[in-house]
Amino acid sequence: MTAAPYVSLTGMSKSFVGVKALKDVSFDVRPGEVHALLGENGAGKSTLIKMMSGLYSPDAGTITIDGKEVRFASTRDASAAGIATVYQELLLFPELTVAENVFLGNYPRRPGGWIDWSEVRARTRALLDQLDTFDLDVDAKVLTLSVAQRQRVEIAKALSKDARILIMDEPTASLVESDVQRLMAVVRQLRERGVGIVYVSHRMPEIFALADRVTVLRDGGYVATRDIGEVDEAELVSMMVGRPIDSLFPKAEAAIGDTVLEVKNLNHGRHVQDLSFSLRRGEILGVAGLVGSGRTELALTLFGMTPATSGSISLEGRTVSITSPRQARDLGIAYVPEDRGQQGLVKQMAIRKNVSMASIERFSSGIFIKAGEEAQRALDAVKRLRVRCRNIAQPVGELSGGNQQKVVIAKWLETNPKVLILDEPTRGVDVGAKAEIHTIMGELVKQGVAILMISSELPEVLGMSDRILVISGGRLTGEIDRADATPERVGMAMTAHQSGEAA
Amino acid sequence: MNWKSLLRHETFLALLLVVVLIVLSFQSDRFFTVSNLLNQGRLMTEIGLIAIAMTFVIATGGIDLSVGSILGLTAILTGVFWQNVGLPLPVAAVAAIAVGTFAGFVNGLIITRFTVPPLIATLATLALYRGLAEGISQARSVRGYPDWFYVLGQGEVLGVPTQLWILAAAAIIASIILAYTRWGRTVYAIGSNEVASRFSGLSVEKTKLALYTASGFAAALAGVIFVSRVSTTRSDMGTGIELDAITAVVLGGTSIFGGRGTIAGTMIGLCLIQALKNGLSLAGVKGDGTIMLIGAVLILAILASNLFERSGTR
Repeated sequence: MTAAPYVSLTGMSKSFVGVKALKDVSFDVRPGEVHALLGENGAGKSTLIKMMSGLYSPDAGTITIDGKEVRFASTRDASAAGIATVYQELLLFPELTVAENVFLGNYPRRPGGWIDWSEVRARTRALLDQLDTFDLDVDAKVLTLSVAQRQRVEIAKALSKDARILIMDEPTASLVESDVQRLMAVVRQLRERGVGIVYVSHRMPEIFALADRVTVLRDGGYVATRDIGEVDEAELVSMMVGRPIDSLFPKAEAAIGDTVLEVKNLNHGRHVQDLSFSLRRGEILGVAGLVGSGRTELALTLFGMTPATSGSISLEGRTVSITSPRQARDLGIAYVPEDRGQQGLVKQMAIRKNVSMASIERFSSGIFIKAGEEAQRALDAVKRLRVRCRNIAQPVGELSGGNQQKVVIAKWLETNPKVLILDEPTRGVDVGAKAEIHTIMGELVKQGVAILMISSELPEVLGMSDRILVISGGRLTGEIDRADATPERVGMAMTAHQSGEAA
Repeated sequence: MNWKSLLRHETFLALLLVVVLIVLSFQSDRFFTVSNLLNQGRLMTEIGLIAIAMTFVIATGGIDLSVGSILGLTAILTGVFWQNVGLPLPVAAVAAIAVGTFAGFVNGLIITRFTVPPLIATLATLALYRGLAEGISQARSVRGYPDWFYVLGQGEVLGVPTQLWILAAAAIIASIILAYTRWGRTVYAIGSNEVASRFSGLSVEKTKLALYTASGFAAALAGVIFVSRVSTTRSDMGTGIELDAITAVVLGGTSIFGGRGTIAGTMIGLCLIQALKNGLSLAGVKGDGTIMLIGAVLILAILASNLFERSGTR
């Protein structure tokens, strides 16, 4: 049963400009196993993967393939040794066809050096069929494909090079549930064929469904390797964060007060149609819906980014019209956006400057910034929200996802919002920081802030919300109290079709 | 402050300037004299004023190519308002500056209201404003300004050329604004990430509109100083000055992609270019050689700063 490892890494270390990214980590993959690699963001998973695929060379440690020591000078060497990687951000050429992408750089030739296109297409077809992907046209341009289909093309590309080891970096991060199931079937099938798979994911259910063994990294160090049968979820999580996590969704009980925000018949374009709801002080109102259902568009309309075309918004009983984010901010509405890197933060700028950005007037006397006060408030915020950083002058872009998100939240808390809209507050955030963000939400509602929380993660919506709004096709398809909320009920409302859509 | 904070573009550039000054003073006796240096200061004021405003514009990730044309338009209008319309000269100059400022405002309006990329918008107005200047001038030049007017461009105050005082004041005020005020912070934020700035409730559009207007004002002011310095008005004044200003700004360490740059850097870049131009011509190097050398210095300075600089927004 336990075959000898095909690839093993021993004592791997790597530093970047003086910072140890990986210290003395060992890892191996056997043929025909799925070996899950777990760890919070910044734990060293990416560094380890990149050394295995020849992108980084280790400062110390050895790599052996089939028992023989090797050195990868480039990704080409690793690929020749049978190691292929499917990265999270897929590296395909959108303007080329599926077949052209699969054999790019390694096209079968006819005598005279001409590319044998019929061979390229036939072999691509065969590879895709092996992956049970009969519905994908080999002549389709990659830009017309869905994320799941592109991923399948990447896997086919890896197989075309006779990969013995396939590294998959968070393959399900951007897939919808049905595609996740299909991907898992593909992974199982590859395992049957003797391919060793390194599977990096944050999602526990997938790991328990797929993995044979699991290795946990923390802060660049090796924690443990276990057979999957020996561990449970709580144990893995505490290995990852280095301390026990009491509960996944610490729902704080806050006194729910008067209505703060009242929305009536709100409209904007196709994605916000006739929405009415209210939000009360100290309440967490969850917003559930499929991707493209209009959740984010609702937030953007409330925040003045895409002002409402009709309907009314009233704050604390006063009817307001919101036409710009600046105005929304002045009225006490804060928005922590979905796309942290593009919309939430100025990554090159220091933590201090990001924290003060939405309330810079409050940190100024006249036009001059009061640097001392700004620094003090940033220090307080970093301490209060437990942002892990070197100091407040550190550029936000250097922080991990969870800590970046805390800086965005800190920025908006400086405006003393009455209504805080959180759009995917824990997307791309590791387990430890996720629990901390949930705790912060609990503290905020206790102080009387009203929270509108948009999330794709159903357990999060069910776990954190006092009440849940469900949106489908831009319309409200359900309003469910915490007590009555079940995954089935919310799920039903999420997929509910609006018969009156055409009207 | 640690030793690393000294390893920045401005420091490197200042050292380079010192080296250039030393080398050039060995090449010609006439270079390192008070009168020559002050005269060079006189010559670089117009580019300097434009470059200060350009630093702000480029730091937001924008660009203003129309400044040379605005300079020419202001120059011609000063003459026409005074000689043909018959306004008193101070009123004519102020009115011309107002028109130049308005031209900058129009740039800003095109860029913010109609979301035309700054490169295209100001390339169009470069042609538009120059055409306007030529149409108004009808190929005539205006001369014979009263003597008192030349104080601005040819006179001295406390032994220093008048316009150099204006440049110094503008540089000091601008560096304070960029470094210590929320306007300056907004400029850097927009240049680094315009979307996030908007999502943070910063007034992105208003700030840009103000900057292009200020750029028009700086070019207009430079236009009046130019007229006073050369005693005449022609419609082709300031042709190509936008490139000199952009060179000074970029040489000074402002990122052409925005988010980074200082007024001090721009001023050092300006001095370096002027020193090279003057010193080399005194040393007998031909004009083409000088331009080539400035191009080479620009590339070297950018390469060197890329080596040790990651973020220079203080």
